[in-house]
Amino acid sequence: MGEVSHRSMKPLQVNPIKLSEPMGATLAFLGVDGCMPLMHGALGCTSFTKVYYTRHFAEPIAIQTTAVTDVTAILDGGDYSIVEAVKNITQKVTPSLVGLHTTGLTETKGDDIRQVASQIDFPLVWVNTPDYEGGLESGWGKATRAMIEQLVEPTEAIDDSKVLLLPHASLTPIEVEKIKEFIASFGYEVLALPDLSTSLDGHLGEKQAALSSGGIRVEEIRRLAEAGMVISVGDSMLPPATALQKKNPFLRHRHFAHLQGLAATDALVELLLTETGASRPHPAIVRWRMRLQDALLDSHFSLGQTRILVAGEPDQIAGLCASLHEAGGRVAVAVSTVDSPQLEKIQAARVLVGDLEDAEALGDACDLLVTSGHGEALAHRCHKALVLRGFPNWEEVGNQLKNDVLYEGGAYLLFECANAATAARGEGHVGSDRSDRTVGSNVTE
Amino acid sequence: MAEKPKIRELLDESACAHNKSKQSPCNAPTPGATSGGCAFEGAQISLFPYADAAHLVHGPITCLGASWETRATKTSYPGRDLTQMGFTTDTSTTDVVFGGEKKLLSAIDYIMTHYTPEAVFVYTTCVTALIGDDIDAVCRHAAEKYGVPMVPVHAPGFVGSKNLGSRLGGEAALAHLIGTREPETTTPFDINLIGEYNVTGDLWQYAPLLEELGIRILSTLSGDGRIKEIRTAHRAKLNVIVCAKSLISLTRKMEERYGIPSISLSFYGKRDTSAGLLAIAKALGNEGLIERTKTLIAREEARLDGKLQPYREIFKGKKTVLNTGGNKTWSIASALQDLGIEVVATAVKKATEADRQKARETLGESGVLMMNPGAEQAKIIDDTGAHLLLAGGRSLYTAIKKGIAFADVNQEKKKSYGGYDGLLNLAEDLKNALENPVFENVARRAPWEK
Repeated sequence: MGEVSHRSMKPLQVNPIKLSEPMGATLAFLGVDGCMPLMHGALGCTSFTKVYYTRHFAEPIAIQTTAVTDVTAILDGGDYSIVEAVKNITQKVTPSLVGLHTTGLTETKGDDIRQVASQIDFPLVWVNTPDYEGGLESGWGKATRAMIEQLVEPTEAIDDSKVLLLPHASLTPIEVEKIKEFIASFGYEVLALPDLSTSLDGHLGEKQAALSSGGIRVEEIRRLAEAGMVISVGDSMLPPATALQKKNPFLRHRHFAHLQGLAATDALVELLLTETGASRPHPAIVRWRMRLQDALLDSHFSLGQTRILVAGEPDQIAGLCASLHEAGGRVAVAVSTVDSPQLEKIQAARVLVGDLEDAEALGDACDLLVTSGHGEALAHRCHKALVLRGFPNWEEVGNQLKNDVLYEGGAYLLFECANAATAARGEGHVGSDRSDRTVGSNVTE
Repeated sequence: MAEKPKIRELLDESACAHNKSKQSPCNAPTPGATSGGCAFEGAQISLFPYADAAHLVHGPITCLGASWETRATKTSYPGRDLTQMGFTTDTSTTDVVFGGEKKLLSAIDYIMTHYTPEAVFVYTTCVTALIGDDIDAVCRHAAEKYGVPMVPVHAPGFVGSKNLGSRLGGEAALAHLIGTREPETTTPFDINLIGEYNVTGDLWQYAPLLEELGIRILSTLSGDGRIKEIRTAHRAKLNVIVCAKSLISLTRKMEERYGIPSISLSFYGKRDTSAGLLAIAKALGNEGLIERTKTLIAREEARLDGKLQPYREIFKGKKTVLNTGGNKTWSIASALQDLGIEVVATAVKKATEADRQKARETLGESGVLMMNPGAEQAKIIDDTGAHLLLAGGRSLYTAIKKGIAFADVNQEKKKSYGGYDGLLNLAEDLKNALENPVFENVARRAPWEK
């Protein structure tokens, strides 16, 4: 762990990677089945968010706006626009839940949405998410905490077969599914909140839905306090976990900063073995661990000579850096969108809160960039290898199925990064030490 | 809740004179039943294409964080393309409480030191408008300090739609740029292109033809535009509005102030392009130019026809249903007809009365004008045996159910369909759609559903 700067000294962001709290909240509500996220702000807050996620996921995005105008900004305290919005939404569709979240505009004018929400006779969760505070992860975390506080029924009963996963905002739909299945293979029933694995996983439905088309069901959320164990992934998910513990004093909470790489996955397996008393995990998991070990060796030659810059959300870059570091990847710089307790733990020579201009200034120290699609121009201009991770990625299709987590995803990530770095150096794989060591084995060139 | 009726009253401003003839344009968007962008986005659309200027968004992170690098407006500017960069003051809680003017000024200083742009556009947003930051004063101060234009753009999202924002962007250019510099030379055939943003390089499809005719593009607002050129726009002989009704107020004011007449046209498809070129020549009022233009049009149409011939054979007997909005309801229909495709229906739900009229003229009596395309298009596909559905992504499901080809009408945001050669791009994309087996493959029933 190297030098850490917790805040930028610049008066502006240049080529920002930071995203807003309301956008994080929107995404969280999209992980609830049949939900209509309702953003309390001007038209653009919603339309930018909608277009942004539509392009990233290549899927229709359900969201509505309270359409605050200059007039309502002054005269209305949310009573008119929110009540009216819920009325108009429910005239056309019947959401299982309305996910009301604010923006910088409506927080600046000081709307009391808690009071407005109390006037609305429809399932609704409200959350304050000004976009002049925090970022994507905290918005996602706040919306999740609000769902727990406002929907989950308190109980003292415990169902030991039930596990709740609290995944951070940057985990892709397939990653959430893989983690759920991994835990389920130890004999648990696993729920995730929010759960993008069945809503934004890019499945072809019967028709285009006007509401989120999958995710955890509202009835399931109500009964989450009976879960025997809650597993949070990413430091941004600690507040929701704490909120859930208040609903049931007997609920046990286990936390993982991330689930990327060999060590982190081993820690999860150890926990689950202890909990279940099993001696070995499912054979598929055993096999994948061996494959990841092999991937670490196969990729270490390329990664060991590669200086890497990782930029993105703190919970995501923490996992990426740990995973790359295990194979000897030299993470020279990690640029985080916002400050987070994660920064102190990130395995990189230098960690800073900043933007892509900062990344470019430090570009000489790196050969490979691991960041969002906004890094494309930078990689091109500075002739760097590029692996695309995080929001947004408008350059590629298939973002919802990119898997970097656990033993399996870890192997894919290492191969992709090693190959990208090798290609950028203009080398083939000839001379890899694996081919020397295991002559006649199935090493493919 | 005593304000409620008052708000309703204010939102539905029937006293506006223009409300008598139009469909109540003063109507505010309906909460919970609205889509489309805000005024800030509109201003961004109209001004961001200036690649030699920095575009500094004074607001919290959503406004720029979610929107930079979203539009493929191309530039030939040899310096760093500032359009594709994001600058924002990223307003924080402290700024909301204590004001953001100091930070804004420091941000401008930073940009001038590190990027030396030809101008800085400063966009106010909902939050900074609400807290009352005086961006005019900051811009004035910075302009004096650096001697380059600092343009305050007053289009916070909540004042209205994208359309209004584009208009406000035009107003800012008029107030702070146009007429602030004299061109080195002038010609009798100097024009401004207004509302041409060079998305996917549309402008470059026809700019060489204008050049060949001796028509000089003095400036643009704002595709492949330069600040030093738009500053001389008051010396043009003609304003050409390209597919952008929102900037009519700008051209009207330029006519009042500088006596520059304007014409409005589009460069979509063969007929529009030819008509557009001729309209420019006629408006410039030179007989020789008009003759030269006619000759060039004949040459270009013949050249295009030759290139389209193989496509016409593929498209022979092919029928399509078009589901889009605005002027595209007829302009794309006309381009499709240029390709030899029969347009059996077009959606006119999101079109003005004038656009509907034009759609009727384009499709002829037998064509269907769909008022409710979502519900109607499936049946029309059945009735007419249409082969292709050209629509927004939302309609993909209809095409798959009907087992016909689908093409995304918004593809033009990635690839230019403008001018004569753009039609070749459209033809190629439609050919690929018709030949693609994917729609049938996707529609295959699962083994367990057979």
